[in-house]
Amino acid sequence: MRKFWLLPIKLSMLLVLTTATGNAAALPEDPLNSVMWENMAQRFFPGEVVIDQRVVVLSPHEAEDQMQVPVTVDATQLENVVEIVALADLNPIPHILTVKPLQAQAFVGFRVKLEQSTPIRVGVLTSDGVWHVNGVIVNAAGGGCSAPASAHGTSNWYKTLGQARGLARRDGTDAARLSLRMRHPMDTGLAPGIPVFYMNKLLVKSADGVDLADVELFEPISENPTLTLKPLVSNEAEDLLVYARDTEGNEFEFALEVPAMADN
Amino acid sequence: MKQQFLKLAVVSAIACSVGVSASATADAVDTAAIVGDQASTGDIVSYGLGPRGQRYSPLSAINKETIKNLFPVWSFSFGGEKQRGQESQPLVKDGVMYVTGSYSRMWAIDIATGEELWQYDARLPEGILPCCDVVNRGAAILGDKVFFGTLDAKIVALDAKTGKVVWRKKIADFEAGYSYTAAPLIVPTEAHGPLILTGNSGGEFGVVGQVDARNPDTGDLVWSRPVIEGHMGTLNGEESTMTGTANESWPGDMWKNGGGATWLGGTYDADSKLAYFGTGNPAPWNSYLRPGDNKWTSSRVAINPENGEIEWGFQTTPHDGWDYDGVNEFVTFDMEKDGKVIKAGATADRNGFFYVLDRTNGDFVSAVPFVKNITWAKGIDENGRPIFDPENRPGDPAESADGKKGKSIFAVPSFLGGKNWMPMAYSQDTKHFYIPSNEWGMDIWNEPVTYKKGAAYLGAGFTIKPIFDDYIGSLKAIDPASGETKWEYKNKAPLWGGVLTTAGGLVFTGTPEGFLKAFDDETGEELWKFQTGTGIVSSPVTWEQDGEQWLAIVAGWGGAVPLWGGEVAKFVSHLNQGGSVWTFKIPKQLAAK
Repeated sequence: MRKFWLLPIKLSMLLVLTTATGNAAALPEDPLNSVMWENMAQRFFPGEVVIDQRVVVLSPHEAEDQMQVPVTVDATQLENVVEIVALADLNPIPHILTVKPLQAQAFVGFRVKLEQSTPIRVGVLTSDGVWHVNGVIVNAAGGGCSAPASAHGTSNWYKTLGQARGLARRDGTDAARLSLRMRHPMDTGLAPGIPVFYMNKLLVKSADGVDLADVELFEPISENPTLTLKPLVSNEAEDLLVYARDTEGNEFEFALEVPAMADN
Repeated sequence: MKQQFLKLAVVSAIACSVGVSASATADAVDTAAIVGDQASTGDIVSYGLGPRGQRYSPLSAINKETIKNLFPVWSFSFGGEKQRGQESQPLVKDGVMYVTGSYSRMWAIDIATGEELWQYDARLPEGILPCCDVVNRGAAILGDKVFFGTLDAKIVALDAKTGKVVWRKKIADFEAGYSYTAAPLIVPTEAHGPLILTGNSGGEFGVVGQVDARNPDTGDLVWSRPVIEGHMGTLNGEESTMTGTANESWPGDMWKNGGGATWLGGTYDADSKLAYFGTGNPAPWNSYLRPGDNKWTSSRVAINPENGEIEWGFQTTPHDGWDYDGVNEFVTFDMEKDGKVIKAGATADRNGFFYVLDRTNGDFVSAVPFVKNITWAKGIDENGRPIFDPENRPGDPAESADGKKGKSIFAVPSFLGGKNWMPMAYSQDTKHFYIPSNEWGMDIWNEPVTYKKGAAYLGAGFTIKPIFDDYIGSLKAIDPASGETKWEYKNKAPLWGGVLTTAGGLVFTGTPEGFLKAFDDETGEELWKFQTGTGIVSSPVTWEQDGEQWLAIVAGWGGAVPLWGGEVAKFVSHLNQGGSVWTFKIPKQLAAK
């Protein structure tokens, strides 16, 4: 497992070297008071960092189930959002996901596995190169990332791999609220004897093939990944296409229909 | 803390820039490099040190004189609890070793330091059905990708730099008993460019042997060729031709689950432009259920890679009743005999005979026994067909009093073969083949059986027995022109590893007792050995790097012997599992002397 997350870390260190050495001193104090703050900022938020309450991060204060902790990120108060990066500071693999809302609102909902109580931290990069960071602390019982997925209780998990349930509704006049859940064990590689195996890519496209939202998922995303995104749509009824791929090269595709404004 | 972090970042930056510059100057592997692999000693980009499968290296820095100075450089552990049989042959390109291991795993290792660059673990389903241990025999490489097959009957293309999956395709349905363990074969074609060829495994489950050709960039299927009569091939997404003629050598619908698994992969000869695949035993083992020759089981087939057509077939064991699973590699070479040069190929069959054929048309040239006391056949006739001994075919259960068990007979060799999967080597210097063989027999009897998907489809019972008290394994040097055995090395445990021979006058092979050994190619004298700490059931390789000759072997006891071994258990039950790769070279201070 080790090597699968060391590599991205090394690459991001290189980025830090070229961009962050000058202004690392300007890193604001962490409102969550995390021992990992400096490290997280250097690894994941290269450039100017500000603490910004306009990045709204919602998650339960106490996690009922550390394998399935719901998180909602709403950065729609910011303009020109390029990228949303979600982290769990104290997870063995901190990086949860990266969303590029290409033609979508700066909004994402997901479920995450937590290894212990940790800050859930979100950095939102705007086109001026500034990272707007905010977060919450979630108290959780241990072991969310290093326990086997419940799929291991069954012998035929691969038969339902990628099976999806989803719903697309209108959300205001120009956006859809797309909620989906796909069957996947999302193995972190940290449970003994079970290789890393997770869905690492999800794309939402318009019916004519334009990318609307690009999501990179990482090991901490919960088994059977659950996501909410808000792609931009017209007033007419239209299909949204969802494409996903996992680390074993399995590919999944399905479509969800957004009703016309008049029928909503 | 900040300072520490910056140091770390600088170190990784240097490491990265070195990696980048190395890859920028390297030539990517193309099919010309694969076809010419034997002559280019700086890398190993094919299974068999060249797709002909000769396992001969022109390197000679390690030779009969210098081998006493051969010492290990590093050992790399495959780690985890997943050890078992390690039958892999490493590949080497630009200072990186690509090696596969048990349970469908693969590693890239920096040869200069022995450090891991990446590891890939296939996520296998729980219900895989490998008959004969969870082995893998090696990878293929082309361009920026490395390829290997997994136990759930899939082929995976990985980015050679990162180990990330580029594509992954299903070869066959693992729930029907298919799996995949051989190294894929990459061949050039005029019609399609490079193709990656795979066979399939599952010979004990009533599968149908098939060879598939795919586009290495995308994994898309270009053609497929089932090897059993009556099944339809495909080309460019459409049905092409039927293999043979339905029911010509099979009764009723027995051909539908007729076996013939192409589980050992293939070889390729750039001169004949043919790919040679061995085909496994017919299913079920009980031969009375399938009167006829049962083509093409227990055969060698030559396939035209341009269209997937079978150009010729040669059946070593027609109407097999002993599991003489004829997949063994067909190694091409030019043979001088009676002043003429024959475009030949040779194969040492499970049935105990060593065959030489004309590689261009499959014509029979000669066959000699390479193990002792063969009982199932009295010899091979002038057409290459066995002269069966009817007394030594296991009896028909229908003729027994209760219809449940036929007469048991003692057959030599055993179903694990005079030679099993482990590849032989051919020396261009001595003109000899070096064959890793085993001296054993079996009691075998037939039972009634019907086909059920995913269940063993044998219809036979058996137990293996050694023939001699003191040894089973036998490495032999055979002159293909005369059929004479020039020398023999006897090993207590059955030999289950491949052979390498070099211009240094050496023959290398590993033993289940854990030794990598080197022999004089002319006399068979043992010149060197090294204990790897676990049994060896894999194939050694050699290459040149930074002016030095390196040698590598994968170690880790397992394979079919401990699973099926019968009375052989007393020769092997004490052997311990492992999982590692060892490298060797002559230390500079000794090489200089």
